[in-house]
Amino acid sequence: MTDLNKQGYVTNIQRYTIHDGPGIRTEVFLKGCPLNCKWCSNPECIRPAPEVGVYPDRCIGLDKCGFCLSACPAGEISALKTENNRVMAINRGSCTACLSCAKACPANALITWGKLYTVQEVVDAVLEDVPFYNKSGGGVTLSGGDPLIQWEFSLAILKECKEHGIHTCLETEHHISPGILNIVYPSVDLVITDIKHMDPQKHRVYTGVDNKLILHNIAETAKKEMPLVIRIPVIPGHNDSRENIEATARFIVGSLKNRVLQVQLLPYRQLGIEKYRSLGIPYGMEDFQPPEREIWEKNILSLAELLKTYGIPAVAGSSSRPSG
Amino acid sequence: MTLQSARKEKPVGITPFDREWPVSDGHMGKNTSPFPRVNRFINRVLEGEFTVDHQRASLVTEAYQKYEREPQVIKCALALANVLDNVEISITEDELIAGEMAAPMKAAPIFPEHSFSWVMDEMKNHPWHKRLHDRYYISKHSAKKLREIESFWKGKSIDEVVISEMNEDELKGTNIGRGFYLLNLYMYGGIGHLQANYEKLFARGFYGLREEVLEKLESLDKHEDPAGAKENFYRAELITIEAAIRYFQRYAALAVKIAEKEKTPLRKQELNIIADNCRWVSTNPPRTFFEALQLLYLATTIILIETNGHSVSIGRFDQFMEPFYRRDIESGEATKEDIQELIELYFIKHLWWTKLRDRLTVIANSGRGMGGDSITLGGVDREGNDATTDLTFMCLDAIAHTRSGVPWVAVRWHEQTPWELKVKTANVIRIGTGQPKVFNDQAAIPASLRAGRTLEDSRNYHVVGCVEIDSGGKEYGWHDAAYFNIAKILELAINDGRCIGCGEHCDRWENCGEMGKRLGPQTGKLAEFSSFDRVLEAYDRQMEYWVDLMIRGIEIMDRVHQRLKPLPYLSTLIDDCTEKGIDVSAGGARYNFTGPQAVGVGTTADGMAAIKQLIFEEKKVTAEGLLNALENNWVGDEPLYALVNSDKIHHYGNDDDYADELAKFATDTYCRHVENRPNCRGGKYLPGVYSVSANTALGLTQWASADGRVALEPVSDCLGPVHTWAGSHDTKGPSAIAKSVTKLDHIRAANGTLLNWKFSPSCVTGETGRDNLIALIDVYFDRRGMHSQFNIVSRETLENAIKNPEEYRYLLVRVAGYSAFFVELSKPLQYDIMGRTELSFD
Ligand code: SF4
Ligand code: SF4
Repeated sequence: MTDLNKQGYVTNIQRYTIHDGPGIRTEVFLKGCPLNCKWCSNPECIRPAPEVGVYPDRCIGLDKCGFCLSACPAGEISALKTENNRVMAINRGSCTACLSCAKACPANALITWGKLYTVQEVVDAVLEDVPFYNKSGGGVTLSGGDPLIQWEFSLAILKECKEHGIHTCLETEHHISPGILNIVYPSVDLVITDIKHMDPQKHRVYTGVDNKLILHNIAETAKKEMPLVIRIPVIPGHNDSRENIEATARFIVGSLKNRVLQVQLLPYRQLGIEKYRSLGIPYGMEDFQPPEREIWEKNILSLAELLKTYGIPAVAGSSSRPSG
Repeated sequence: MTLQSARKEKPVGITPFDREWPVSDGHMGKNTSPFPRVNRFINRVLEGEFTVDHQRASLVTEAYQKYEREPQVIKCALALANVLDNVEISITEDELIAGEMAAPMKAAPIFPEHSFSWVMDEMKNHPWHKRLHDRYYISKHSAKKLREIESFWKGKSIDEVVISEMNEDELKGTNIGRGFYLLNLYMYGGIGHLQANYEKLFARGFYGLREEVLEKLESLDKHEDPAGAKENFYRAELITIEAAIRYFQRYAALAVKIAEKEKTPLRKQELNIIADNCRWVSTNPPRTFFEALQLLYLATTIILIETNGHSVSIGRFDQFMEPFYRRDIESGEATKEDIQELIELYFIKHLWWTKLRDRLTVIANSGRGMGGDSITLGGVDREGNDATTDLTFMCLDAIAHTRSGVPWVAVRWHEQTPWELKVKTANVIRIGTGQPKVFNDQAAIPASLRAGRTLEDSRNYHVVGCVEIDSGGKEYGWHDAAYFNIAKILELAINDGRCIGCGEHCDRWENCGEMGKRLGPQTGKLAEFSSFDRVLEAYDRQMEYWVDLMIRGIEIMDRVHQRLKPLPYLSTLIDDCTEKGIDVSAGGARYNFTGPQAVGVGTTADGMAAIKQLIFEEKKVTAEGLLNALENNWVGDEPLYALVNSDKIHHYGNDDDYADELAKFATDTYCRHVENRPNCRGGKYLPGVYSVSANTALGLTQWASADGRVALEPVSDCLGPVHTWAGSHDTKGPSAIAKSVTKLDHIRAANGTLLNWKFSPSCVTGETGRDNLIALIDVYFDRRGMHSQFNIVSRETLENAIKNPEEYRYLLVRVAGYSAFFVELSKPLQYDIMGRTELSFD
């Protein structure tokens, strides 16, 4: 029996997403990630616990409002840092993440990342769009962070969705004990995963962890003949060398026996800077100057061609349908 | 190929059904047609300026003076004849289909019998060439000619008579008073919003129509027509038919004359064909597609010359033109390419038509493509079978090729619509010109049945103008009778019948607020309401009071139109006017409706939700607190302003029953008070729920509102969720919007509904983007949504267009019901379109 009252932290339930899996989907973003990629565009999903994001531009002024200051239990020595009549940031040291300020803020200048949901609540939200899944061949996608950080919660959601006949897709980083994958996979229809770098050293530098476990798990996934989509986030100057892409190709045709539905090469977009600031997390790519669109576009297309010479079903971007 | 086998094959246009065009490339003038003549034609039309022309006004005035003592219907017929016989005509280079609207290409004729004082006022005090948008030029000569007739029309035009016949109560809420329901379209202009019976015209020709009238006249029983009204009506019909015949023949003669001087043999030959076509169809039924198009174009143009109405629609072009198409292809008379080129040239000819609107109307309905000349494609036939033809695809290709915003194309979808047609529709939508709009047979047919049309007529519906369902050829629907701001009703309901923001700045201050009076009935103060239900009761009572007054005003207008402006020419083309001997304006048509629309659904729903949640449930705010905040336009109440605009409040458009049920209540209350009331033409009222762009004009007369609007900001558009200057109230994306909007009863809103979508290009690119768009429309339609239209354009593009209008001269966007050049729109409307939530999924 699935425990529908089981709770977990969800940062967002986004309806009508169209890039993560086939058709029109509802995407559930779960909190917590084992990796810490330099280019992550969902930094609000990295830490496992709820936290408050600060958007000073939206603050309407302490003189007119100040509701947050009254709400914060840290009192006089409030955990909220103010400047020029506005809330600018949170002193994460003295903040207990009680979330009172975000609840009190009328202007969304303080917002909560990570709300407690029961499995039932998530599934109810997913069920809202069943007619859209049916017409478009869509379903639900669990994403994050990595949904497997809260794997029992995620499993319960997947199981319950399958009960309702909904197509399930799991986006995971695969930095997890293989045993968990064995438990979760029976409730998954499609797996999406990243290969960020083939060089273990570089992988560690860019993501904070070694890639050995990840590659092992991906190989196991392919061996189980799970429908698998692999994504390569193409980050200029980081992993876009032909050498690295060829190493990836060799891994796919060798270790995975090319058992992949599609390999998608995704362009780097400087998204999420605002979110980094709101969370008080330094952004590793702040100074990074992405090349002109024409240049990276051409580069991605040529890397896709390179993969294709290995017989790999590679595409640029995420909006073309896997064949077969 | 036999007839049978030709029919069994899948319909197809001249390009493959899944031919793709670049996404979000909605610019005109890019030579996108495969036919060089069409591209030349488009560019030539684009180059010229819009002008105002006096000829029609002068000729009509001349006739009114000369025939002063004639019965009104005869006078009107003779006035039309005087115009058709004497106005200057021309045929321009590259044209194959001749005809003009009693004025040169892109010139607006003037209709002094409808309204004239504003024309003179604006000519003097607000010159049209100095307008920020909807600009027109006028020559010194034309201006002089218009001044000459000014004194004749004093007190005689329909608008002046209507206003003089309305009492203080009937005026106080209208555009002449406080401005929260707008009657201006039919006060200053003609009715339009109809389709002529082209099938009948094509079957009988003008001689056939004349024959019918003559028979009726001969068999007329004088005892049944003691005052001679019917006899006069028939005589007037005959005068207009004969004038129409002569108008066609003038074009024939002109074509011959130009041909004689023409040097290039090819063009000479073309001009002779134009002459032959015009001559033949001046009296006879057309034999070929080409002839039928000539008849269609010029016969419609004469309707536009007779009266100042817009949205004179074409109807189901892919149905009634299909027999000509099939015959031509089978006989070898024309190739598919020939027909395609003709369709495209015909589409561009719609750019000829323009009508001058007063400066207040153009704030609400800006963009000069005010023809409202809609074409309806696809759908089911009278028996309920799929009606898709080759022409369905060819017209969609023509839209992709010409990208000129005209005609306004609607595609009907039903449960058996071929996948190929859905793909073609989606591909043309994705170009981003806002064309075509998509209608749902599953909602429109039941709505039409509910209105009282027969099953066959309901299945055969077409779309007139922007939004409205019409049975075509047998209906006078007064579809655009009024725009009624229901958000103002909520305001009066929470403020005891007084306006919020009442003060000296108001035009009505002296006979209202200053006298201690209130605008509406006294329905209680918010602070005294014991529960939220009392708010809804007050809303209901205010609604009843104001709908009563609106209908009284509309009825007065209707009677004045009947008295002063009979339409004998149009009457020959609408069933059963000739049969009954009654003019179309006076109830001669088979179906007679009046359709006023509710505006501001989202604004009302979110306002109600904020009041319910904050005052009655959470008790976070007091009634006085809220009313004060509104009176002060939120100044000093910034936290409350932020809060009502935040997702902490239930908002319509998020698939949240709390707010969606309030939206349903708000619209149902309007519909309940409007529906089934009789009108003075023997028909009844049909409510609609959409704004077109009247939401900006209605916003300009309303102070701050509880949903988080500041004073004068537009109210919400059509069925869309609220977006205020503080942000969009819908945060859950398109599927949630589709579900919220379809919780309303579209079938009840039998005059029509509309939802505007705005997508960023990235979310509809590729095959998956296309298929997801189709799936979205399918689900919206399965849930009985009636009508959707789409903008595929990024906010960035619109921002750039505002900054550098020169570079974006030909950028087309969907306004609502119609597409227009973005840089030509009024500023409030530009910002309103930009503010509609952009659905982007990167
Ligand atoms: S989360 Fe709680 S402790 Fe932290 S700043 Fe907000 S109110 Fe203060
Ligand atoms: S509650 Fe929000 S808006 Fe008010 S002062 Fe604090 S951060 Fe600013």
